[in-house]
Amino acid sequence: MATAAHAGHRLERRYARLGVFLIAPTIVVFSLVIVYPLLAAIYLSFFSVYTPTLEGEFTGADNYIRLLTNAAFWNSLITTLIWTVGTLSLQIVFGVGMALLLHQNLWFRSLARSLVLFPYFVSTVVAVLVWRWLFNDLYGAINHGLMQLGIMDMPLDWLGTMPNAMIGVILVGAWKYFPFVVIAVLARLQTIPEHLYEAAKIDGAGPIARFFDVTLPQLRSVLVVIILLRAIWDFKEFDLIYLLTGGGPVTSTQTLSLLVYQEAFALNEMGQAAAYSIGMMLVMLVFMLVYIRRTAREA
Amino acid sequence: MTLNRFMSTGVRRRSVLGGMAAVGAAAAMPRRIRAQETITLRWWSPQSSPEQLAAYETQMRNFEAQHENVQVVFERTSDEGYAPQLAAAFASGDVPNIVTHLPSFAVSDYWSAGLLEPFNDVIDMVGPENYYEGANQIYEIDPGVYAGTGIGNSAANMLWLRTDLMEQAGIDEAPRTWDQLRDAVSRMQGGGIFGAPLPYGRNSMTSLIFIGVIHQAGGQVFSPDLQVAIDSDETRNALEFYRSMREYCPPGATNYSWGESLTAFVSGATATGIYTGRVLINVANQNPGIADYIDCVLYPTVSEDVPAWTFNDFPSVFIPRQASNMDVTKQFAAFLFDPEGYIQQLHAAPGHVLPVLWTISENPEYLDNPIIERYTPQVDLMAAAAAEGYNLGWESQGHQPNVKAGEIINSNVISEMVQRVVLNDENVDQVLSDTSSRLEEIMGS
Repeated sequence: MATAAHAGHRLERRYARLGVFLIAPTIVVFSLVIVYPLLAAIYLSFFSVYTPTLEGEFTGADNYIRLLTNAAFWNSLITTLIWTVGTLSLQIVFGVGMALLLHQNLWFRSLARSLVLFPYFVSTVVAVLVWRWLFNDLYGAINHGLMQLGIMDMPLDWLGTMPNAMIGVILVGAWKYFPFVVIAVLARLQTIPEHLYEAAKIDGAGPIARFFDVTLPQLRSVLVVIILLRAIWDFKEFDLIYLLTGGGPVTSTQTLSLLVYQEAFALNEMGQAAAYSIGMMLVMLVFMLVYIRRTAREA
Repeated sequence: MTLNRFMSTGVRRRSVLGGMAAVGAAAAMPRRIRAQETITLRWWSPQSSPEQLAAYETQMRNFEAQHENVQVVFERTSDEGYAPQLAAAFASGDVPNIVTHLPSFAVSDYWSAGLLEPFNDVIDMVGPENYYEGANQIYEIDPGVYAGTGIGNSAANMLWLRTDLMEQAGIDEAPRTWDQLRDAVSRMQGGGIFGAPLPYGRNSMTSLIFIGVIHQAGGQVFSPDLQVAIDSDETRNALEFYRSMREYCPPGATNYSWGESLTAFVSGATATGIYTGRVLINVANQNPGIADYIDCVLYPTVSEDVPAWTFNDFPSVFIPRQASNMDVTKQFAAFLFDPEGYIQQLHAAPGHVLPVLWTISENPEYLDNPIIERYTPQVDLMAAAAAEGYNLGWESQGHQPNVKAGEIINSNVISEMVQRVVLNDENVDQVLSDTSSRLEEIMGS
């Protein structure tokens, strides 16, 4: 009996060693590409570092004290939250609406499902150039069209004044990323059992009631995941905002990512930039914890 | 069986060992013996119009023809993007061999951080006697040592005028003062044409142009000993002037940088422009219908008592200290001033980048250009203005070189000040106080 138990333990230990051996490459790669940069950023954040030379001196918690006492970080955090909430809300509304539409029996449904993904696949640089041209005051199609329709007398400054700049950025962000919501929601819609709708119909539920009482509860789990993932991605969005407004006017659209960039490469203060990015990471950690808790509960 | 047949086809063990020995010997050979090893030189510049690229191509191929083991490759950067690109390059050690056309204050910034190779050897190869007198003064940050040299001069804030529109508006003379300018643009604005394309964006152009406006008001950003001096009545006047010009600029001027401002005038969307001589070639290529009706003057000042202040960004050449193949790199830097290629480069945008060598200015080949011949008075005016020009790195003859000028421009402190006053209508005193504090912080960093 004891021999069998001993053999069992040996087998378990062997399996455990095999497990460690198999997972080791993943841990090594993970450490190299995630843990090392993270530790390096934390390390840098305690120094005053001149970016081009990466040389500097230890300054203790000075960068974090400046982060807490300087308005720049908090203003950019508020701007980031406005951008994230604004664009994410539109992405969800447009995305769910479009998914519902594409779930219907339409002519050319396959073609429409392919075309709707276009904004998501097109390069951000190209998308921004197109939108900047559309928004242009002298030659832009949007101003031209609105003036032709008699809605405006003079061209509107879409990206240079507030609140137009923030609205413009949020709209372009929603246009660019709503296809992700369409893909995920459409996939879930196709798995909702048809008999639920039939039962609701028998109970006298109309289209709106069926949406709120059947479709939405069924979409709930996938929507939570989408919202959390997109919130994380939108929170750290850089290229779209940088190319559209550069953070202006003044700092009205300067999100935390742009603030980190400016500190690191315009002011050459890599240490302060690292401190800002650690602060940004801590805020994002909240989103991540919610996501991890959520997925763990569902698992 | 197949392997055996291969082994018996005459490839002897001695031959194989001999071949291996030869390969080993080649690998162990000192580098200098392998004279034909290809050396690649990387050249960065933010100036990359098609005509300029063609000129660079000539210069690179001519140099390669003289150095058979050298290959030169050109890589673009941009006026707004060079700072982060170079910061990353310096930090990683993967630097270009040579960088051209960046403003002189960027050179002094990098020099002060010990990132650049002294340029005396290159200046000696070009011939110090060929330069205009004092042309390299701005690069002599430490006595006797040059951080770089000029590849040209520029007069970047010339006031460009449409003479046909002036005539229609009954304006006889080019404006000399701000009041005259406001009067002129108000009379020329209309019928889909705006008065001016002044930049109000959060970018370097707004900062650089507005620094000129402060000087045109008789003020300065720093005192000669580099104390912050922006909080002054002159700056208040400058902000008031800039705010008053907003109604004569297109709505999108709040996002204008160099490209948009240039295009606005060249396309005919505005009656005046503010730019270098690049206007000339762009009008010739893109809107020849107005080519007979353009002129340029020095940008007006607050009154006739205040002299004009021309913004010259002193387009530079410099070599990063970490660059490889330093000897060949220096030879190439000097080769950029070889008349054939240099003149073609200057002709790529006549009047935009003006020669720093008097020997080139007087060269018949340089003068033999249809744009320069057609607009000789304008080109001469720009050359004279650029020769007396300044920028934030060197605000006047009496100022010390400001090695923090690059960081100040890249931080957008000045352009944000303009936006806060003009677009947000914030209290000027508060804005100037904040701006002074931020400038002091950057100077002290």
